Amino acid sequence: MSKFNKTIGLFKKSAMVGIAAALTLSLAACGGSSSNKESSSNSPVKIIITNGKGEIDAQFKQAAKDFMATNKNIQVEVDSVAVGDTLNVYDKLTASGKTVTMAMFDPYSALNKYKDVGIDLSKEKWNADTNDALKDSSGQVIGFPFAVEGMGLVYNQKVLDKAVGGTFDPFTINTQDKLKALLDKMKASGIQYPIAYQTEAWSVGNHYSSLFLDQADDPNTIVDQLKSGTFDYTKNAVWNGYYDTMDILASKAYNKYGARPLGQYYDAAHVAVGKGDSAILFNGDWAFDSLHAVAGDTFGFMPIPIDNNADNPLNNKIAVGPTQVLVINKKASVAQQDAAKKFLNWLVYDQKGKDFVVNKAQVISAFKNNSNKVTNPLGVAISNAIAQGKTMPFSTNYINAGDWPTTIGPEVQKYIAKQESRADLAKAFENYYKSHQQ
Amino acid sequence: MKHRKKALANWGNAVLFLGPTTIFFAITVLVPFIYGIYLTLNKMDTPSDPLVFSGILNYVNAIKDADFWSSLWLTLKFVVATVFFVNLVGFGLAYLVTSGIRIQNSMRTAYFTPNLIGGLVLGYIWQFVFVQSLPAMGEKLGIEWLKLGWLGDPHMAFWALVIVTIWQTSGYMMIIFIAGLISIPRDLIEAATIDGAGPFRRLVNVTLPLMVPSFVVTIFLSLKNAFMVYDLNFSLTKGGPFNSTLMVSMHVVNKAFIESNYGTGQAEAIILFIIVAVVTGIQVYSSKKMEVEA
Repeated sequence: MSKFNKTIGLFKKSAMVGIAAALTLSLAACGGSSSNKESSSNSPVKIIITNGKGEIDAQFKQAAKDFMATNKNIQVEVDSVAVGDTLNVYDKLTASGKTVTMAMFDPYSALNKYKDVGIDLSKEKWNADTNDALKDSSGQVIGFPFAVEGMGLVYNQKVLDKAVGGTFDPFTINTQDKLKALLDKMKASGIQYPIAYQTEAWSVGNHYSSLFLDQADDPNTIVDQLKSGTFDYTKNAVWNGYYDTMDILASKAYNKYGARPLGQYYDAAHVAVGKGDSAILFNGDWAFDSLHAVAGDTFGFMPIPIDNNADNPLNNKIAVGPTQVLVINKKASVAQQDAAKKFLNWLVYDQKGKDFVVNKAQVISAFKNNSNKVTNPLGVAISNAIAQGKTMPFSTNYINAGDWPTTIGPEVQKYIAKQESRADLAKAFENYYKSHQQ
Repeated sequence: MKHRKKALANWGNAVLFLGPTTIFFAITVLVPFIYGIYLTLNKMDTPSDPLVFSGILNYVNAIKDADFWSSLWLTLKFVVATVFFVNLVGFGLAYLVTSGIRIQNSMRTAYFTPNLIGGLVLGYIWQFVFVQSLPAMGEKLGIEWLKLGWLGDPHMAFWALVIVTIWQTSGYMMIIFIAGLISIPRDLIEAATIDGAGPFRRLVNVTLPLMVPSFVVTIFLSLKNAFMVYDLNFSLTKGGPFNSTLMVSMHVVNKAFIESNYGTGQAEAIILFIIVAVVTGIQVYSSKKMEVEA
């Protein structure tokens, strides 16, 4: 019976499609003399989307096909950046004379280098379902948050459960003293070095050393002070607090590499935490693959406590924010812009769109209405933190992630290796903002 | 008439044999090189920026860039260390595997093999050795200075780069030296032996002078390789710790692509090219003079 209904349904549907097609054909025949291509509905709108995450190229192209299956009047071309390519695929296409309809940028580029590209997206429906839409300095939404990521102290649940004798709750560690007590407990439970601190320049620089920007609700206010030279690093409690905690993380007492804290330990540190020889390191959700964890082991994030005030919001939150945003190009035609907007809505509200973002591309969704969960336990920890409201801005989005690995990063490394004092480090920050931001 | 026909035929032959090579050389080397020089006269942040003529501003910026000169100085030290050791080890190996010991053919293969592994892969392999294997050995055998990873100390990281370069390239130089060694006429060696020269005398007074053509080639290759080192630098130390092993090629790439200062980076690349061309030119010219006839 139901099969019969379905057949009738199908028949009905195809009849309707047929009628619609006939109508459009006759309409098109009437308007045959019209020179405006955009208004004729039977020539599909072609849009170009650039994908900045080369690793999900195949999934993105499949998603475009799925989208086109239900939006037959739109043709989507996806161009992905090659993994590790330094030149944005947007630049390449633009240089070759094409108009990219929608481009994927990292938020800093979207707000700086490409600040003139995007159209206003403030009126889009999806703004109600996310906190991570990218706004420019005038408060206008210009970026659709495609992927969010987060960072904090990655921990191995099994080791910490054993150390605390029960289920470890990461948000109980909200003071430096509690962190130290936890580390001591771990040592007592047989973990010689609880921390495996990897000190890549981008990690200690771009990620860790930007966290102090979160002391203001809007990190831009601190960035403005840095640029104008009015920020006093050495007297700032939060800035110092982060380096006090860094001293703990890198110390000989707790850090596996404490005797020589620098030196390409990324892989070794992750494997140590993954196996449970150590249990804590500082990184983001992308760290999971490097952990080479035994299937079924859980990992999560704990906040980085920077003082002994348990009510300090910085001690209770992890940094989460968009790391890739989609921007619609002003130079595209209105029809193309509308088609791109449709694609964004499809990503947020269509089952297939939601499925693509989270299940297929394994990207953490910035949207509350997407209940899918990634398989990466660190990604799950981030979506849980988003759900509980325990997140603060992803501070790296407010610095120039391009040159920090060669400018600030090495300075922080010198500080870790005790080659320079904290005052020297403050000086390095000052000089950087003097010479790099006019 | 006949003369003219011959000239035409010669010209035709030249085009036939040299033409394709010349065209490919022009497309892949000459044209990009000249275009590259033209780009340095423009202000560009990324390679796809519109060209805005800025005169020699990029060169002024490049010369003012203190980090460029310090990375060049570091590269010079690296050049001295690797050219010396690569040739020493390469020659030593070649001498060993032409001395007539029993497994010399398989030894030749073994010493050459590291050269077949690309610099990037090699860097990651040796990273494992310096960060994990050696410290583990230090731990087991109680050797204090081996217990810590090499790549965290500026001096040890530098020598790590040198060691891996020696390991990688001396096998290749060995092949060139072997070709030189077996082309030395046996009668000269025999004559020297009859005249009462010992093995050391024979090496210094007969073999080495006849090996100068090989040295011209190997020193040129190792000089150029050392000046242009990038892949190994990238994969083994990434310029760290705190930029202390950042060689000049890496600095140029960082300048142009990471710090988005393409014009200046390109100008630095041209300056580097001139320096390397002058140094290797002097080397080839002066060592050619040392060649002797057998």
